[in-house]
Amino acid sequence: MSGRKILRGFMIYGSSVGAAFAVTLAIIAALGFNVGDAFVTLVSTSFKSAFGFRETIKKTIPLIFTTYAFTIPFMIKFFNIGAWGQMLFGGTVTTVVGLTLAPLGLPGIIMIPLLLMVALAAGAAFALVAGYLKASHDINPIISTIMLNYIAFYFVNFIATSRAFKDPVEGHPITRALPDSATMGFFGGIPHSIILAVLAIVFVYLLIKRTRLGYEITAVGYNLTAAQTYGINFKRTIMVTFILGGALAGLGGGLEVMNIHGKLIEGFAITSGAQYGLFGIVTSLLVAGNPAAVPIAAFLMSVLLVGADALQRTMQIPVEMVFLTQGLIVLFVVVIQERFRQGGK
Amino acid sequence: MAFVNSLLSQTVVYATVYTLVSLGIVIAGRTGIFNVSGEGVLLVSASVGFMAAFFSGSWLVGFLAGAAIGALFGLILVFVHETFKVNQFILGIILVILGTGLSDLLYKLVMGVRLTAPMAPSMPVVDIFAAVPIISAILNHDPIVYFMYLMTIVLWWFFYRTKIGLETRAIGESPQAADVVGVNVRRRRYIATIVGSALIGVAGAYLPIYLTGTYNPNMSGGRGFMAVGIAIFASWKPHRALLGGFVFAAVEVLSFQLQLLSDSIPFQFFLMMPFVVVIVIMMVFRKRIEFPASIGKSYSRE
Repeated sequence: MSGRKILRGFMIYGSSVGAAFAVTLAIIAALGFNVGDAFVTLVSTSFKSAFGFRETIKKTIPLIFTTYAFTIPFMIKFFNIGAWGQMLFGGTVTTVVGLTLAPLGLPGIIMIPLLLMVALAAGAAFALVAGYLKASHDINPIISTIMLNYIAFYFVNFIATSRAFKDPVEGHPITRALPDSATMGFFGGIPHSIILAVLAIVFVYLLIKRTRLGYEITAVGYNLTAAQTYGINFKRTIMVTFILGGALAGLGGGLEVMNIHGKLIEGFAITSGAQYGLFGIVTSLLVAGNPAAVPIAAFLMSVLLVGADALQRTMQIPVEMVFLTQGLIVLFVVVIQERFRQGGK
Repeated sequence: MAFVNSLLSQTVVYATVYTLVSLGIVIAGRTGIFNVSGEGVLLVSASVGFMAAFFSGSWLVGFLAGAAIGALFGLILVFVHETFKVNQFILGIILVILGTGLSDLLYKLVMGVRLTAPMAPSMPVVDIFAAVPIISAILNHDPIVYFMYLMTIVLWWFFYRTKIGLETRAIGESPQAADVVGVNVRRRRYIATIVGSALIGVAGAYLPIYLTGTYNPNMSGGRGFMAVGIAIFASWKPHRALLGGFVFAAVEVLSFQLQLLSDSIPFQFFLMMPFVVVIVIMMVFRKRIEFPASIGKSYSRE
């Protein structure tokens, strides 16, 4: 990467983040809150205590998965707004399989890999519906993935309140706990699922940079006509990107169930007032769909989310303020990126 | 019969939301702007419209405020797209996120936490056809229902019976061609997107002011996205948007009713119905759907 390119990136993000923070802080000031305290809380809560840092990592892990779920189809210019639904479906099917197999008493060494495969497959299958609808019926994935989100939401509710799976003493839609052999532990407060997040990062990087499939995806995104001339099957590429994205979102959902909650809870894919799918879209747009930059962006977004949670706790500033900050950051970033793109390389 | 009449009457109310949102999307689409921000605009105008109605004590002020905040979102969409050529879908999604966040943020900041749900001022309702079934279900309603009927007719007349409307449709097909014959493409896009989003804002204010009487987080429930499906199904034709609005509203009302009637099928599957229907309708009608040729693409003279 050349020095100029780094400088350019620095300018894009520096000015966007600066402008978004300026707007947010101006609003916070106008509402009569202490701006200095608010800013420090927003950016430093993650680093001031072990608890803050663990919370940040707990948000970063699912966010990495939903960001990839948007990013991979976006490489060929399709919008997968359905990471949330794919995550919900992955988590729900994982729970159903886990609870159904519980009486067999399988050891964790079999149960955990099996459930991880189930989560991957469920997310992939759910996203494939949207990929197939695009490839065969030319239905815009923006529409189909959003409709599938709502369908997944009611599916979670159905499972979490069904006689076979629900926790009989809970009033809320929550299932019985998974057996211990199906749940994962923590390294001093950091969930084991971080291993899978790291594996996912490596997998996506190698897939895009080192495999024929990754090359095909890049080629289609870069120039569809040329790619088709060289014999790349566009419809197949569409379905593959949705399968990959959905599998990762589904895995993210399965890990939330297996590692964080130990059961299916309605609303498990929601954090800081919104669902991980939406935050994943913001994060992905922020890095212009560049898969290699996803982990760091997801971490920084989680820092803001943890900061926003703290703002609500300590200063009574509604957590939704962070939507405004993140929405504005990404708005400014896409505007400036577009300016640079048109203004010559 | 009374039961059918009541179902139809409810359908008209929900159709008002769906139709107004999809008309808003249709207007912008005719100038080449694909506005997918409807869900965010619905939410923010529900919040702002409700609070305006609550504090002023006037439902009309609520709708004007909803239309104004909707128009502002439309202005942001068209300004950023026209000035910086940022992808319309990306902008739409960003506006959904901003609208979702702002709706709850503003409500919490202004209204705070209250023990009883604040209620919107009630709206006048036409009640002169009470004795006539069907007609009463269609016409015994509040002013916004009439506004929705009127807008459908006005927009149909505008796009298919006036010269300006024809020119506006031409922009959606080919901005270059429209530009050559002297149509100000940029100005039309601004007007269409802003007016369209204002209509979505009216629909947003309708949710708390009439439908529920109070504001709830995420009360749009995906209707802003479903309306995009209606606009596509309607091939960006106002009269077909009305038809689509009624079909989707009927599915929503029926899914609620069937959920109450059936014991054997879990109610969640009925609540999924409207979303499944969107997909099925698009699959079935795909061959007959026409998109304005330039929709979603940016246009600059050179």
